[in-house]
Amino acid sequence: MKILLLIITAFIFSFANDFDYKIKAIKLNENSYYVYGKEEYFSKENGGDIANTAFIITKNSVILIDTGSSVAYAKQLKEQIRKITNKPIKFIFNTHHHPDHFLGNYAFKDAKIFATDYTKEDIKNNGELYISNMVNLIGKAAYTTKVKVPNSLLEEKELILDRYKLKILYLNGHTKSDVVIYDEKTKIVYASDLIFNKRALATPHANLQDWIKALEKLKTIDFKILVAGHGKVSYDKKVIDENIFYLKYLHSTLKNAVNEGLDTFEILEKEHPKELQDYSMFKEEFERSIINLYPKYENQ
Amino acid sequence: MKLLLLFISTFLISTSLFAKNPIESPTFGDLIKQIIGDEKYVFDDENIQIKVPKFADNPVQVPIYVNASKIKDAKRMILFADLNPIPRVVDMQTTKILPVISTNIKVAQETPLRALVLDSKGIWHVGSKNIRSNGGGCDVSSQASTNSDFAKFLGKTKGKIFEKKDRNRIKASIFHPMETGLIFGNVEFYINTITIKNDNELISTIKTSSAISENPRFIFEVKDNSKSYKINFLDNDGNDFEMEL
Repeated sequence: MKILLLIITAFIFSFANDFDYKIKAIKLNENSYYVYGKEEYFSKENGGDIANTAFIITKNSVILIDTGSSVAYAKQLKEQIRKITNKPIKFIFNTHHHPDHFLGNYAFKDAKIFATDYTKEDIKNNGELYISNMVNLIGKAAYTTKVKVPNSLLEEKELILDRYKLKILYLNGHTKSDVVIYDEKTKIVYASDLIFNKRALATPHANLQDWIKALEKLKTIDFKILVAGHGKVSYDKKVIDENIFYLKYLHSTLKNAVNEGLDTFEILEKEHPKELQDYSMFKEEFERSIINLYPKYENQ
Repeated sequence: MKLLLLFISTFLISTSLFAKNPIESPTFGDLIKQIIGDEKYVFDDENIQIKVPKFADNPVQVPIYVNASKIKDAKRMILFADLNPIPRVVDMQTTKILPVISTNIKVAQETPLRALVLDSKGIWHVGSKNIRSNGGGCDVSSQASTNSDFAKFLGKTKGKIFEKKDRNRIKASIFHPMETGLIFGNVEFYINTITIKNDNELISTIKTSSAISENPRFIFEVKDNSKSYKINFLDNDGNDFEMEL
């Protein structure tokens, strides 16, 4: 009888097993880490692990920047952090409202989760929709995901969390409200999705002109390490210029297409700069950008 | 023996004809019968170019482009999507207009898109392409329709002529909800006819359906090089929106 029970539980557990994200924290300096998300689109194979997350270990606590695409991801991220430190994860930032950056929130019930008013509202209003989309896209890995709306409004330009100081920059362009976090002490800037490092930029809610302005501002920060929202970390400002180039190219392509009376697919068939085509996901992301943004340019 | 051979050959021919449909779907047979009855058709992806996104992550605005200008003297072109609740997209006379269209459509789920083009010998050519979609990504679908200034914009048009060496390209758009009536509480409200005229003659009558996305945009190509056109958008509520280009 015992054996039978054992077999049954083992059987149930084998199904209840979460998707294995194989999360690995990459050390940036003594107390700062980031987790690299795959440069892919959401899929059942990657469980939605496509965005970077990062964390800072302070004297008494852990500060987490973004929580990934699912609660399963966030739980495994927590386990990974536990292997490095026992300090409680007390503070979390949601840098913007895209589902690959906040759907892990629910795994952190006792944390203070910061977001701007706009981001909070969007998560409150559309959170459930994001989850049902995610179930379509990543399947099983999203089944345990529930919405947790940020519970702390982000307003101040400087935050002191358990005596650890962080500077906050309120920018926009990738979405209507993006947050960049600057750690003066370590000179690490967490640029969220304002930066895609050698990965084609995602623009479903973008305003290209605002985004370029935000990047110009980002350039004025004196940093040693820049953690992108997607793609690897970068150690110089070249990555910002590359992103500006991408956005300016997208803008001029769309503007010229309106003047020439082109169809969406005629734009996509044009020859695009070699350096952009080398970006990961260029074909897919560029197509999405043109499809999403062209009607706005046509109506101007 | 002869009978057996005949039987085998008919069987082979019928299966090979059947196999020619490049994208099978459960509704294709019924739909094509409904639209063209018993008229002859052939699958012809070579002469009909259809372009759709690699993946349509905004299912209420899926850009499509159809170019069947390789079929000379095409008389009529019909587009339909096999698995849409409203399959028929467009039905256009193509004697003075090229069998070319670019517009955005709605898709309920992954579906083949078909273009039927009638040639001068009375045979329909069928082009097919599959539209992959499940809705999702960073997009939350259909945000555009929630415009509170709706009445102010209804029927507002925009258009331009682009001259090419042997034809004119017309780009036109109109603010219209293109309501399907499938959502409880909403009545059907959509543009069902577009006419294009140059100075003195009718160039084409284009029948449209609510499978076309809200605030529709079109590219048409006409076989003349007039300097001006008159386009009328008629909806099922009796409105007639006129645009001069």
